[in-house]
Amino acid sequence: MNCLEFRRLIGAEPAGRDAGAAAHRATCATCAAYQDELLAMDALLARAMRIPLRPASHARGVGVPRRRWLALAASVVVGALVAATLWVSYPAPTLASEVMGHVSHEPDAWVAREPLAADAVAAVLGSSGVRLRGDAGTVTFAQRCFFERHWVPHLVVQGAAGPVTVLLLAHRRVDAPVTITEQEFTGVVLPAPRGSIAIVGRDIAGLDDIARRVFEAVEWDV
Amino acid sequence: MNSDHGGTGRQRRFDALCTALRPDLVRFAFWLARDRALAEDVVQEALLRAWKSFDALTDETKAKQWMLTIVRREHARTWERKRLEAVDLDALVQAEAPVLASEDDAALAEMREALFRLDDGYREPLVLQVMMGYTTNEIAEHLGLTQGAVLTRLFRARQKLRVTMSVGGVEDEA
Repeated sequence: MNCLEFRRLIGAEPAGRDAGAAAHRATCATCAAYQDELLAMDALLARAMRIPLRPASHARGVGVPRRRWLALAASVVVGALVAATLWVSYPAPTLASEVMGHVSHEPDAWVAREPLAADAVAAVLGSSGVRLRGDAGTVTFAQRCFFERHWVPHLVVQGAAGPVTVLLLAHRRVDAPVTITEQEFTGVVLPAPRGSIAIVGRDIAGLDDIARRVFEAVEWDV
Repeated sequence: MNSDHGGTGRQRRFDALCTALRPDLVRFAFWLARDRALAEDVVQEALLRAWKSFDALTDETKAKQWMLTIVRREHARTWERKRLEAVDLDALVQAEAPVLASEDDAALAEMREALFRLDDGYREPLVLQVMMGYTTNEIAEHLGLTQGAVLTRLFRARQKLRVTMSVGGVEDEA
């Protein structure tokens, strides 16, 4: 593959995984920079396409459940410390919108119901140096996804109240829990030993238990 | 075990799909119509049609593609009904300024306007790929094009955006 072929291919699919393109990229710094530029532009494009929506006409009251989230997140992160006092919620529109953008990017993942085989889940997590210990819940979707220019594990775990999306963001550090709220979706990004974990669902009350289980079940740096 | 055999189960499944898909359906319709109010109307009508023919959806993992197709057809019907006249892009941009704006990110607003001004033939496949996660094969099937035509449109769309955004400037048109 020459530079022109590479640019035509990557110009149409910047995140494509063509073997020929990867080989050319490894030998051509100019084309590698071109692909990086397009990937960055696509990230901006993805955010741009996610225009703000009007509030849902049947917005649910979320005040009380949100307090439960604060307590959960704090207890998960610091264990025995007093939960509510350590909760620091601050606006992080970029990360929150990136997470929501990705979650709604693959709505098919939400409707999967068949449990995945453990080795299939392990294969997805293993390439990111992560393993799930114990019982994190029934995993019905596991895929490596391109997120913020990194390949990250994307899981859907079935909880008592329905499916919950989990993104393991080893590349992304957060200093404190970040809340995510958009339409019916609610979630949190929690600081993790390596990077962070984003957990998003549609039922706030149902997320508490599964978030705790998932957080405690993730083993980093396998 | 669930009990999705009756009407309640059918409605519950449909509601779940709508909850998951509606935000991006509205966004997709917006980038088709370039009019938020019209986009919301189109999606409302599309969901009504989807509900009526929900039994035809035998594989719910295909729900996204199925609903997008309905939205696209509904948008085309609306377009035909209204017999819209020649588009004044500047007026459209002005009308939708609140949607395109971003208070704290100038690049985001600039990109939204650049995308807004992109020709329909370039904008739709780009939205399908970047926002909806379609492969080029799926885009070709959705739009009734060859895969080669889709690749060309995607390439040219990005080249136009690069130039508009002044992040590159290399115009190597296919």
